[in-house]
Amino acid sequence: MKKLKTLLFLFVSLLALNLSAQEQNQAEKISELNEKVNGLLERAATSESDLAKLTKIKVSGYIQAQYQNFESPALLAKSQNYFSLRRVRVKFTYEALDGVKFVVQPDFSPGNISLKDAYAIVNDHWTKTFSLWAGKFNRPNYEVEYSSSQRELTERSLVIRTLYPGERAIGAKLEYNPLKVPLHMQLAIFNGNDGLTIANSAGTNLNAADNIDYDNFKDIMARVTYNITLGSFGGLDLGAHGYFGAAKSNALKTLSSDYTTVSDIKFGDRVSRNWLGGEFQLFADVLGGLSLKGEYLAGKNATIGYAPVAASGTVAAIPGVANFQNNFAGGYLYLIKNLGKKNQFAFRYDYYDPNTDIKGNQVKVKGFTTTDATKLANKMSGKGDLATSTFGFALHHYFDDNIRITACYEIVQNEKVGAAGLLTEDYVQADGQKVAKGLDYSKVVPANVFTLRIQAKF
Amino acid sequence: MKKFNLLKSAIIAVLLGVVCFAFTAAPERITVKGSDTLVILAQKWAEVYMKSNSSASIQVTGGGSGVGISALINGATDIANASRKMKNTEKEKLKARYNTLGVEVACAKDGITIYLNAASKVKELTVDQLGKIFRGEITNWKELGGDDQSIKLYGRENSSGTYVFFQENVVKGDYATSCQTLPGTAAVVNAVKKDTYGIGYGGAAYAEGISICKVKKDANSPAFAATAETIKTGDYPITRYLYMYLRNRPTGEMKKYIDWILSPEGQKLVVDMGYFPVK
Repeated sequence: MKKLKTLLFLFVSLLALNLSAQEQNQAEKISELNEKVNGLLERAATSESDLAKLTKIKVSGYIQAQYQNFESPALLAKSQNYFSLRRVRVKFTYEALDGVKFVVQPDFSPGNISLKDAYAIVNDHWTKTFSLWAGKFNRPNYEVEYSSSQRELTERSLVIRTLYPGERAIGAKLEYNPLKVPLHMQLAIFNGNDGLTIANSAGTNLNAADNIDYDNFKDIMARVTYNITLGSFGGLDLGAHGYFGAAKSNALKTLSSDYTTVSDIKFGDRVSRNWLGGEFQLFADVLGGLSLKGEYLAGKNATIGYAPVAASGTVAAIPGVANFQNNFAGGYLYLIKNLGKKNQFAFRYDYYDPNTDIKGNQVKVKGFTTTDATKLANKMSGKGDLATSTFGFALHHYFDDNIRITACYEIVQNEKVGAAGLLTEDYVQADGQKVAKGLDYSKVVPANVFTLRIQAKF
Repeated sequence: MKKFNLLKSAIIAVLLGVVCFAFTAAPERITVKGSDTLVILAQKWAEVYMKSNSSASIQVTGGGSGVGISALINGATDIANASRKMKNTEKEKLKARYNTLGVEVACAKDGITIYLNAASKVKELTVDQLGKIFRGEITNWKELGGDDQSIKLYGRENSSGTYVFFQENVVKGDYATSCQTLPGTAAVVNAVKKDTYGIGYGGAAYAEGISICKVKKDANSPAFAATAETIKTGDYPITRYLYMYLRNRPTGEMKKYIDWILSPEGQKLVVDMGYFPVK
């Protein structure tokens, strides 16, 4: 009996030991699993944090492929019609913190990549009304800032393309957007010569370094817009902008806009470029929605010349070119009408007179004729003084959220000179034959363009 | 040459005239997309309206206010439901695409409700405390009179109008990175229901099976729950309008539908579904 008790005791003890060992094992396993779960949770938190960073990066972009037909005889020897890639752009926006944004936008073209936008925006945390921009970004102007992926005509109007080549400039900008007033103010300072060609006597562009200013003069731009709500009819946006800048003289003479006055100037002196513009955009909720948009700009622009080069230190080897300050005027008027949800029609009248002091019938007639000691090459008025009017018609079809198909026809008309043969240009035919004086600017020189474009935006 | 110019001008004028007087036909089927806060009410409106108007066809989907407004801008929907106002950037996009400023219709009111787990010891919070909680500055319930436990935050995705409204009016900064984003108010309510130490926010109509936290404007103000009365009087501090956005002034079937939503019949459904009427 005693033996049996001992055996029973031993058996129970062993069982208890075994159970205890099992419990210990289970506890160890649970602890192990807990550690694993905690590790996984930690990794998930890290991944979530990494993913959260990724959501701060936004990628957008668009591709524009097009077929164009040019009616210009000047292109006969070259291609008058071709397919091309107008834009291939990808925009990366990184919103690091609330109110801090970085934007980089490269532009791709066959065989080339260039940087279109690269800027940082910092919004003020206190009043939430100011933001500071620094880098390379659009100049403050309605048509410039209006994306070409949204624009209703295939290109910006001629006056805007002339004044703001490449649209972007390097500098800094302060924006003011009060929370309770529909006012928007921009004040920018730029290098100011972005996209301009400033040639020396050898024809080399002195302004070719895109990242560095050609001179020490900085240009100021300001733009103010105000939105007026017109009840259920729609809204009217009014605005004005001004450009106040200068470029460094590389010549010893400056020629006036009317070709009558040559004034002396020193190397490095300011050649001013100032203009003002007024704009409006009327949005009307009538007949399915239409808008009228217009802008008028006028002022003084400048082209920088160069001084004659003296060979052997004595004789001017080639004629110099004076700085030229031209009084200009230009503008545009859009009429845009939606045709249902999928289609849109747009008309634009666009006008640019590069020299308001010289009328068409004065070109080559009442010009600057004095033989100057510096042998200025551009002493006569010419093609560059003729105004251009363009009537553009476009029809857009929005295939879906991302695809837009555009057909656009632009009728381009030049200002005419006073008499036949007064201002002509040669051109080469498709067979290689040169047609001397074939383009006569006493008539409209054909320059109409048809564009069929497909745009994919994402 | 003058005659030619005159003829050309006349052709251009006639062409422009014809195009300008071409107008948009009213859609046969009305599509509604946007705010998840508003989706159950919008579906109810559509269901009841279609019963009494057999020719009407209305399709309602959610996705969030931002998604709805984007669809309106892209032409993918006729009505965008939003639990926040349209942003200026969105208005600019609508202007650029459709040449209109859009039409805003306030169709209901809502109090953003703070959801707590039924077991939570905390019963009321100030707007400032809520801001600190969702910014991640207050992280333990102990600081608010609750248990010594970490606060678990549940919120909406950034395409949600509720997310934007709550951020602008309560959080006033960045949400804490620990805030778990969920795809819909119902998901937020479910998460809080299961988590003793969870806190979330969303529309009043979804608040079921959880504890509703009373909210105080500041430490010295009385605490209010979101009710028809406190929202009407403005006592409840996190109150907002819910909107329907259209591209153009409504015509035809669309106008009839909008008018009906704003009628006593449509507004009665607002109350029935747990929202608050605009009038």
